[in-house]
Amino acid sequence: MLGFSCSWNTLTFLFMKFSSSVRLPRQELGEGPCEEEVTEEARESQLQVEQSERRMINLQSDGMELVTNIQTAADAKESGQRTEEEEATRLRMERLENEAKCSQQKFEEITRGWEMTKQKTTAQELQDALNSQQQQCAQLLEDKAKLIHDLQRELKARDDCYIKDLKKAAEEEDLFIERMESLIKTLKKTYREELDQIENAYEHERRVLLTANREKWEQYMKDRRNLELENLTQRLNKMEEYEEMLEKLRMEDAEEYNITKKKLDTHVQMLRLQVQQKKASDYLNQVVLDYNYRLQTKKEEEITTIKSQQKRKMAKMQDVMKNLKLKCANKEKQSREETQKLCKDYKRTTELYKHKQKKMRHIVAVDAQEFEDVWLMNEAEVRQLVERALHIDRLIYEQQLGLTWERPHTAFMKLSAQEDPEKPAQRSAQEAASQLIHTGTATQASLGMEEGFLIEKKLPKLLSTVEKDEQMSVKLAAVFSVSACWANFSDVSHSNSTDVMCSCRSAREISAPHEPSFLRVAGRDNSEDAAYWESLAEAIPEVKLKLWDALHDALQKHQ
Amino acid sequence: MSESPYPPVAKHNLARSRSKTRWIIAEDPDWSLALVPLLSQLCLQSIVKNFEKKPILEELGPDHKDFVLERLSPSLPLHLTANLISDDGYWKRCCNERWELCDVSKYGHSWKRMFFERHLENIIELFIPDLTDPKTVLDMAPLCKNYVKRLDISQLLPPIKEPQQAEEEDDSDLTCDSDSYVTSVDHFDFGILLNKLTNLEELHLVYRVKHCGMNFEWNLFEFTTRDCECLAKALKACKTLKLLRLHQSKVEDEKCRLLVKSLLDHPSLRELDLSYNIIGDRGARAIGKLLNRSKLETLNVCNNNIRGPGGQALAHALSKNSTLLSLNLRLNCLGDEGGQAIGQALLNNSTLLHLHLGGNEMSEPSANALSKVLAHNNTLKSINLSCNRLGKDGGKALEEGMSHNTTVIECDIRLTEVDQESSVCINQVVRTNQRKARKKQAQESKTK
Repeated sequence: MLGFSCSWNTLTFLFMKFSSSVRLPRQELGEGPCEEEVTEEARESQLQVEQSERRMINLQSDGMELVTNIQTAADAKESGQRTEEEEATRLRMERLENEAKCSQQKFEEITRGWEMTKQKTTAQELQDALNSQQQQCAQLLEDKAKLIHDLQRELKARDDCYIKDLKKAAEEEDLFIERMESLIKTLKKTYREELDQIENAYEHERRVLLTANREKWEQYMKDRRNLELENLTQRLNKMEEYEEMLEKLRMEDAEEYNITKKKLDTHVQMLRLQVQQKKASDYLNQVVLDYNYRLQTKKEEEITTIKSQQKRKMAKMQDVMKNLKLKCANKEKQSREETQKLCKDYKRTTELYKHKQKKMRHIVAVDAQEFEDVWLMNEAEVRQLVERALHIDRLIYEQQLGLTWERPHTAFMKLSAQEDPEKPAQRSAQEAASQLIHTGTATQASLGMEEGFLIEKKLPKLLSTVEKDEQMSVKLAAVFSVSACWANFSDVSHSNSTDVMCSCRSAREISAPHEPSFLRVAGRDNSEDAAYWESLAEAIPEVKLKLWDALHDALQKHQ
Repeated sequence: MSESPYPPVAKHNLARSRSKTRWIIAEDPDWSLALVPLLSQLCLQSIVKNFEKKPILEELGPDHKDFVLERLSPSLPLHLTANLISDDGYWKRCCNERWELCDVSKYGHSWKRMFFERHLENIIELFIPDLTDPKTVLDMAPLCKNYVKRLDISQLLPPIKEPQQAEEEDDSDLTCDSDSYVTSVDHFDFGILLNKLTNLEELHLVYRVKHCGMNFEWNLFEFTTRDCECLAKALKACKTLKLLRLHQSKVEDEKCRLLVKSLLDHPSLRELDLSYNIIGDRGARAIGKLLNRSKLETLNVCNNNIRGPGGQALAHALSKNSTLLSLNLRLNCLGDEGGQAIGQALLNNSTLLHLHLGGNEMSEPSANALSKVLAHNNTLKSINLSCNRLGKDGGKALEEGMSHNTTVIECDIRLTEVDQESSVCINQVVRTNQRKARKKQAQESKTK
């Protein structure tokens, strides 16, 4: 049954698919130019398809119903039978229960009867009791047998029923199969019929469409042909017209053409002449320009060569300048260094000189002092001695000789005392002058080099007539003036100039009231000193000395 | 030479005699000048002859392969051919040789599958427990596990008891002991087989003996508790089973419960068919529980003994269920109690498509309940209430309900004592619904 239904389902499904698939292309066609007509016709075949579909479905459902009716009937019978069965079973069970109860009761009776018979003693009673018991047992057995018989009968009836049911089931199955087969046949037949009808419908549709289209086609073709003819005649007419027009136009054009051609030719000739003239002038211009150009180029070349030369010169000059500058710088550096060195030397030497001078002065002073001291000492000693001598002399004269003593002159001793206070003042001026000269000599030495060109060449000659010292001072002044000027020009002798200036100033200050007498190299007037000491020595003349010797000898002889 | 109109006889005779010695029979289709076949042909023929000892197939080229396959004997041992030959032509020959009727469409158009399934079915159907060596089945299992998808077993033999019965009569002492030895299993134990068949999707079982004829005994149709336990265990182990059909095997409540217990939360079971058994209310309750704890889509318990309470249990399960698509309760004894319960349940259910309640002794109240369902439900596609005594009023109620319905395309109310006009109206509604459904389908196919 299930398989059968499955196959039916597949059939209907296929049919529906077919119908739907058939429907599709039709509808696509319907979207052509002649929509309305085609769709209407498509609807026709579609209608047919739908109709067939409906018919088939109805047929199938009816057929299926017919076939399944058997099963439903069987089901109904079955359910009916079940209820009956239940009822019957219930009844049976009741009956059996009742039977059981009754038989139980009877059995109890019988057993009670047995009890009773046990009590009875007489044979007759026993016999009766036995009979009654027998009867009761027989009754019981009968009942039971009846029940069994009934049940067996029922069983047999059921067996027969069963057999009948089997036969009926077999018949129903046959009927079922028969119905299925007939349904299959009818469905097949109807499917085929429906298919034929659908095909016919489509065929018919197709034919109709075809004829309609063909007619339309014919109609259109005819129309087209007519139109073509018309167009053709029209065209011919137009062509004639156009040809005439063309001729006219051609004539006009030819005339125009000739006129314009002539004009243009003359124009062309004129232009050609102009062109030639221009060419000539151009040529001339070009020649001139070429020449100018060449000149220009040459000039340019020269200029470039000159430029290069000048550049080279410039470079050389610059190099030279650089070199000179370098040299100058070097020289300046050198000179600076030298001046520095010389300044330093000068300073040093001046300092040394100063120092030495100081020393010298000091020494001189010290010497002088010493000399003074010694002189004084000696003088003092000498005076003492003299005094002693005189004393002694006195003594001698007075004691020994008993003569009167006289003091010799001592005026020369005062000389030395008078000289002393003057000399220091003289000495200081002399010292300063000596100092100055020394510095002057130093500066002269230092300015040895410069002297050459600082002082004019004529100046030394002039100065030679003048005294040496005057010479020197003038030279110094000249030098200082020049050096002042020089200092303005360069800073080389800056330090020198200051020194020089200082010395110059000092020289000027001192040289202003210059007198050669001051610059006399005068030390001590030693000549007077000798005389002084001689006098001192002769304080005690030789006569007295001889006297003293004689006395000394006399005294020694006395002792 | 004289020219005579008649050919010289002597010459003719000579020709004849010559032709006798060199007689060419033009009708012989096998005749060919090539008296010696090609060496390749000889090789292939020898391969075919000795295929059992030395199966060479994969190394051959396509033409040679075809040649060999055409000539291979269908009686080659299966352990050799099962995994080696995948050409359906060979298997077609095997099937046709063995069985008369072969409808390959039922086996997914695979002759190999048909062969192995029928072969295995045959083995199982002829398997006599304690007599047949289970090894025969176990040996087959690895060979056919890739090809067997459905097992439709139409008989299961019980162990043979007759000689032992005779013994029992003689040695009554040994009855106790022999009982325990006699039947280790009552029927074929599927446990040894099902877990090895990794592609099995459908299992149809009937615990009966075919062609027993006059040797009918009730114990030939006995599905014992032990059988049930073994089957339950086997089913639990088979993780690919989609359909289980155990019909006409006198499955009553206890066995039903046992089976259901092992099927709870089965990962792949989709269809359960326990029709033509004697399942009662308790079994129905178990099945109801199973409905919501598995992925069942089809349930067929037609022709069982499910009554009102069972129906109520099923209805209760149905109201919470969302996987069941088809429910067949034909020829049970649901009555109005069950019918109304199911009607109530369907108001909450929106997945059930097919419902068969034929022959359930239902009447008017059920019709009322179901008419409400028809009015509100819009997933139910087919409903069968045939052979229930719905009566005129029931018919009117159904008509009322159907008038609001737009999805039912099959409503069977035959033999329900419903009024003619009601049935006509209902059929009209059904037909309009069918048309709508067809149009919808056509539209969908167009859009696709």
